[in-house]
Amino acid sequence: MLRETAARGPRGAGVPADRAAGPARRTAQESAVRARIADLEKRFGDPDDPANPLGAAGLLAADEAGELPAAGEQLLDDFGLNAEFVPTGLGGRLDRLDTLVRVMRQVFRRDVALGLGYGVTSFMAAVNVWTAGNEQQRRRLSELLLDGSKVSIAYHELPHGNDFVRNEFRADPVPGGYRLNGRKEVINNADRAAAFALFSRTDDGPGSRSHSVLLAERDQLDPERFSVLPRYSAVGVRGCRLSGLDFTDCPVPDSALVGATGQGVELALRSFQITRSAIPSMAVGALDTSLRTVVRFAVGRQLYRRPVMEIPHAAATLGGVFLDLLICDSMATVGTRAVHLLPDETSVYAAAVKYLVPRMLTDTMYDLSIVLGARFYVREGEFGLFQKHVRDLPVLSLGHAGSAACQATIIPQLSRLARRAWFAGDEAPPELFRPREPLSGIAFDALTLASGKDSLSASLVAAVDGLPSGSPEELAVQALVMRMLDQLRQLQEDSLSLSPLDRTALASPASFALADRYAVFLAAASVLGVWRGARGGDDPFLADPAWVAAALHRLARRLGQRPADLPPGCEGRVHEEVLRRFHERRSYDLYDTPLAG
Amino acid sequence: MSVPATDRTRAEHTVESMSSWLADRIALYLKRTPSEIVPTVPLAEYGLDSVAALSLCGDIEEDFDLVLEPTVAWDYPTVEALAGHIVEEFGALEGGDR
Repeated sequence: MLRETAARGPRGAGVPADRAAGPARRTAQESAVRARIADLEKRFGDPDDPANPLGAAGLLAADEAGELPAAGEQLLDDFGLNAEFVPTGLGGRLDRLDTLVRVMRQVFRRDVALGLGYGVTSFMAAVNVWTAGNEQQRRRLSELLLDGSKVSIAYHELPHGNDFVRNEFRADPVPGGYRLNGRKEVINNADRAAAFALFSRTDDGPGSRSHSVLLAERDQLDPERFSVLPRYSAVGVRGCRLSGLDFTDCPVPDSALVGATGQGVELALRSFQITRSAIPSMAVGALDTSLRTVVRFAVGRQLYRRPVMEIPHAAATLGGVFLDLLICDSMATVGTRAVHLLPDETSVYAAAVKYLVPRMLTDTMYDLSIVLGARFYVREGEFGLFQKHVRDLPVLSLGHAGSAACQATIIPQLSRLARRAWFAGDEAPPELFRPREPLSGIAFDALTLASGKDSLSASLVAAVDGLPSGSPEELAVQALVMRMLDQLRQLQEDSLSLSPLDRTALASPASFALADRYAVFLAAASVLGVWRGARGGDDPFLADPAWVAAALHRLARRLGQRPADLPPGCEGRVHEEVLRRFHERRSYDLYDTPLAG
Repeated sequence: MSVPATDRTRAEHTVESMSSWLADRIALYLKRTPSEIVPTVPLAEYGLDSVAALSLCGDIEEDFDLVLEPTVAWDYPTVEALAGHIVEEFGALEGGDR
């Protein structure tokens, strides 16, 4: 049934997007995506209807029971969500990473646990196979996914954390295949996945050529030789079925090997460049719902004889959260589009997104909780969903790659970027910053392990001379961009003086702080790019300099700068948009998507 | 940069001189003395992680104007193996000039 859904999907008969041309192609691609999102949103139904099992009350009940909402899993089966993870060339609907994110955001808006537990970990596993698998493996995995099966990504071993080069799970070569021994821990869907992507030691030597990825199908494993470990109970995403796997002398055939022997670390680092941008971006949906929840509270509740929304501190906080959401989305959108447009630069961008976006999402939830006051502590009722998102979101910082591990990916590349790239390279193509512009397919094999270029930063540098300077808001943007330029100069100076030791994972805290500043700078470059890309377009809010001035102002303060106060019009414009999107039920991200209810 | 730039041209490098350049450089990464870096011991045993090994490639590129696969320090995981590979690459590059 799922395969039928894929074949009849709104993308039509599978004509590659590239073949259509110009505005027609843009419109066709974009309206197909919008239709798909609207369809999914309609299926999820009214979030405020207490009788809707996928409304706030139903989702809370499932969370309290420690289960994924059954109606949600059924809905996603019917919708054929797995087809979103399968490239169009293999019968699925995956042609653009940012589109995948948009679809998944609808799920994360409702329930982070459902997004992760139903699907995202299958996608993480699949990326390895799309990147390095042979034709037969690609076909077989597509079949499994399009039939609705789940695949577990089994990288993690508790003793080694993100230092996965030290992993001990073994796949010893034997005639005709491998013999598996060891444990994988905190693995999503280990109890029900049809296949496992296993990151395995295939060589005793130390270093980065001793591991390989194996794709093992559950049905082909000897049930006497592997077992599923007990389920973990977690603080958040309580519906996710996190357990583990324990293998003892379990044989798998040669055909399980994905890519070449010893290619495991390389494959992981390549796959991360896709997933590290995409997954935090999906989670922006959860912040979107949380912001809407608190705006509803602020509009409805009276304190000091006026609605909370009219208390300046509350209004400013909510405006700030909206800006943070736009910053996160700008940066993540650039990260996912860069996979298509700048595949040799994404090792740094993806790590920066995975470092900064989950942190900002978590900080922002804290800001919101202050406005919500005591209700933030209540597990049920109208605002109960908020505390669930507070508990669920930190999983984004923990799972997959911790913040420090992402900084450690950036740190060794800083001095090279400082020497070769900053103030030197070409700017990024303008479509990098235009969320609705068409993209051609994902070039899984074009991703490179280390970057020597930085077109995103170059776009900020190149923008300086041509910025408009008519209105007070435009002048504010100009002044803030000049400050960001100083920041890049400082980053360059500091990166050039890093000692070799400070360019490794064991670098001093100062190097980690440098990686933090660079990530914030990249966020600023993304925000500026998105605004420039929207000027003259059909979204009057994104084209307005008010939001970008306010967003750059927040980022400048995050960098410890003390920029001049914003012109008074900025806050009002942002506030007005917060209310408009609340009353018109539109999403708070770059897409301004109509929502159900 | 605290490592003195080499005054040899690429063609004048031998496996020995290149090994000593690498040992000096790697010692800086690991805060050890160059004499502690045994040419036949895999760099990962000293704690040089996979991403730092990628940046070693950037150093070589910078000092010798030689573009290498970023994973070169993974595929030639000891000082001896890496020096041998680099000198071979130098030979291939300079061969045409002489």
